[in-house]
Formats: sequence, structure tokens, C-alpha cells
Amino acid sequence: MHETLRRWFADVDRLLRGDATRPELLAREGGLRVDVQQLLYATTALCMIYGLCMGSFSLLKEVPENLAGVSPRLMQLVASTIKTPLLFLLTLLVTLPSLYVLNALVGSRLRLAGLFDLLVAALAVNAVVLASLGPIVAFFSLTTNSHPFIVLLNVAMFTVAGVLGLIFLLQTLHRLTSIDAVQAARNSPQQPKPDEAAAAPPDQTPSEPQQSAAEQDSTDGALDMPPGQALAGQTRLVFRCWIVLFALVGAQMSWVLRPFIGSPDKEFTWFRERQSNFFTGVLTALGRLLFGD
Amino acid sequence: MESLLTTADDILRRAAWTTRAARVGPAVWRLGACLAAFALWYGAVMGAFRGLTGQEQWLRQMIYSAVKVPLLLCGAFVVGLPSFFVLSSIAGLRRDFGESVRALVAAQAGLAIMLAALSPLTIVWYASSTRYDQALAFNGVMFAAASLGAQYLLRQYYRPLISRNPRHRKLLVAWAGIYVLVAVQLAWLLRPFVGSPQQEVQFLRPEAWDNAYVKVAGIAWRALLGSP
Repeated sequence: MHETLRRWFADVDRLLRGDATRPELLAREGGLRVDVQQLLYATTALCMIYGLCMGSFSLLKEVPENLAGVSPRLMQLVASTIKTPLLFLLTLLVTLPSLYVLNALVGSRLRLAGLFDLLVAALAVNAVVLASLGPIVAFFSLTTNSHPFIVLLNVAMFTVAGVLGLIFLLQTLHRLTSIDAVQAARNSPQQPKPDEAAAAPPDQTPSEPQQSAAEQDSTDGALDMPPGQALAGQTRLVFRCWIVLFALVGAQMSWVLRPFIGSPDKEFTWFRERQSNFFTGVLTALGRLLFGD
Repeated sequence: MESLLTTADDILRRAAWTTRAARVGPAVWRLGACLAAFALWYGAVMGAFRGLTGQEQWLRQMIYSAVKVPLLLCGAFVVGLPSFFVLSSIAGLRRDFGESVRALVAAQAGLAIMLAALSPLTIVWYASSTRYDQALAFNGVMFAAASLGAQYLLRQYYRPLISRNPRHRKLLVAWAGIYVLVAVQLAWLLRPFVGSPQQEVQFLRPEAWDNAYVKVAGIAWRALLGSP
């Protein structure tokens, strides 16, 4: 058991510390080298921990007599624990093909496997931040009766974790592109490809990004921007668009998979009927919090 | 007793063992014990309001309050610690995590020591006024004063860390945000600390399971819209 956990979380720890994404390591190994299978296990486990914390809202609440009983509350706990990893994995599944196609169209050298590794790594960072916020969510879930407050708190937690995960994604991409530019310059110094030319800063010789990467302080974290503007304009645009798409799909996916928290005055159900959307739901919760039901 | 006072003195003067001890475990235990002892003392003083205003069940309120203040200080710390660990790691500061945590615990212990140092003032206030709302407000002022002192102490503890890597400053701000978010709700949950003369003494109020932020938002909206 201990050995299994250690295997699952070894790469998560390397990603968090920034060890797996150090420019010199990426250059030496020719890209991001992580055990994707173990990362996926770890991400699932971390998301389940957060789901457990999120689903704990219904545990200590008074429920109407016709809904009384332990089982619906426990079922909500189980449902939230299962649905949280599903939310992330389904969102990744839905948005990965479009990212790959657009990425290939603009001539990025990231292949499907490399892209998948990178996105799973970003998802793992997202999940570990989310799980670390779990105790705070569990604390508020158990000590408050306000359903709209808990909804908004969870939206805030998902936003914080999502932003950090996506910053990690962009920064790692910067580092990968910087390394790629150096390797491409080494292989064909006379005729750089258009994407490589765009990737290299105009006032630098091809060897400079490598120098700056090597000079980078080895204590830098996973979210640090590498020196220089390494990411090609088109690739940057594609990833930024994808981040917006990922956030929109993720938000709507959470709406489709609801309830995650479970209102104590409603009967337990795995899924609610299809109506409205995530953003209307958040605004409604805000209105209920400020003006009451 | 002498050992406790020596420890308190060491914390306030930032003795080397508090953050740079070779053996981490004993240092953290010593800091934690100091935190618990002084917080317990201030809690007991806080709960002495009923006794000094001639109310019944004063001893029970003192015991409850004495338990609750250490719970408040330690609970908010423990709930926020996992997030602090992950944020430290992701910011590239994992190497300093142990020292950061000891600095935070030392500052928490400093807060408890300062509260205990202010406790004679609280007793004088209780002896001077029998009004519950004033007692509440006075305790609020005492907590604010002790928090200011603890902030100063924390900055002193953090100075070597920040000089080593300025990113510690941002992380400290993030920690403060997490800590306050949790501590406000925990204080709301654990109330009453002083004990209203109009209510029976109980560990938690029956309406404890509501939300401090929702209450504040409601009050703010009612004040803004002018509705009763």
C-alpha cells in the first residue's frame, strides 16, 4: 500500500517542486518525462479526496422528515467522490482533440503523446492544489448551513486550483518551446523553421536561450517564467484559446454532472434534470446569498 | 512554570532554537505547548466575565472559554496547513517549509503570549463594567492589539527567509488570507467566548452551525438597502 502510494505520488511531488520541469532536465531528456499512468492514478485519488470534502456538506444537516435517513447523505458523499475525478477527466477528453488539431495546424512540435503528458501533468498540479484546499472546504461544509455559500466557496476553490494548474501548463510549455528552439537551431542552424524563428527572441543568438536556461536558479519553482519570450505567437494563442475552452467546458461539465454538494432539502439523485447553465447557477447562488431565498 | 516563562521569553526574543534548531520535533512541541498554555490562560480570563459580574455557572464558562481559545488558534492553523504546504512547494520554497512552519508556530505562540500579557487589562475592564456588549468589544480590541504584535513578531521571524527568497513575502500574504478565512468561521462556530448573562452556559450555541460570512453579508446588505 505504502509502496503503491509512493509510486503514485512520486511524479506529483517532482512536478510540484519544479524538479520535473527544470529547463536543463527537459533539454537532457528531450521533453517532459513523467509516468502518465501513475499521474492519472494520483490525480484521481486527489480529486476523490476533494470530492469527499465537497460532499460532506449534507452530513450534519437537518433534513425534512420525508427525506430523513443516513443513506441519502452517504450516497451524496459517494457520488461527489466519484464525480469529481470524472469532471476533470471528461473535460480533458472533450478538449484534447481540438487542442491537438489546432496545435498541429500551427506547426508546434508537440506530438499527441507529449501534449497528453503535459496536460495530465497540469491536471495533476490542479488536483493537488484542489486536494490541499479540501480541509478548508470540509471545515466550512460541516460548520455552515448556507447552501449558496458552499456553492460559491467551491467555485472559488476550483478557480484557484484551475488558475495555478493552467499557469503551470503555460510555464512548462514556455520551457519546452525554449528547449525545442535550441535543439532545432543546433540541428539546422542555417534554415530555421518558421515556428522556431518565431519562438526565438529576435535579439538573441540561437545559443542564448540554452544559456539562460542553464543560468536559471535551480531552486526556481514550477510556476516560474523562464527568461526571454520563448513561446511562439501562434502556439501561445492556441493554448490561451484552449485554456478558455477548457474552463468553459469544465464549468458546464460540472453543471451537467451536478449535484456535487447536494442540498439537504432535496432528494438524493445522481444527476439533475437538464436546465439552465453553470453561470446562471452561480449568479442564482450569489443572489440567494445576498438577498435570501 | 519557570520553563514556560523561559520559553515565552525565547519566543519573543526569537532565540535560535525556535526556528533553526537541529532537532525539529522537540522545538515544535515546545512552541505548541507554550501556545496552548498561554491561550488557555487568556481563554479562562475571557470567560471570567460571568464570575466578575455575579452570574451563576461562571466556572463552567471559564473552563469552556479556556478550552476554546487554544482550539481556535490551533484549529485555524491545522486546517490551513495542507494548502500552505502545496503553495510552498509550487512556489519552489519546499526547502524552507520546515523553517516557515516553525516561524508561523512561533508567531502563533507569540500571539498567545501577548494575549496572556493583556489579560490583566481584561480583568480590570470586567471589574469596571458589567455590560456584555462592551466586554465583547474590549476583547475584540485585545485580540486586535495582540494580532498586531504577533504580525510584527512574524515579520521578524520571516526576515531571514524573505532575504533568502523574496517569494516568501507573497506566500505569507497567501497564508494570512487562508488563516483569516478559516479563523473567522471557527471563531463564529466556537462562540460564546465571553458568555452572555442572558443565556445559559453551553459549549456551543444551538445556532452555531451557521456562517459568519453569510451573517456579515446579510448585515451589510440590510445596512446598504436600509431594510430592518
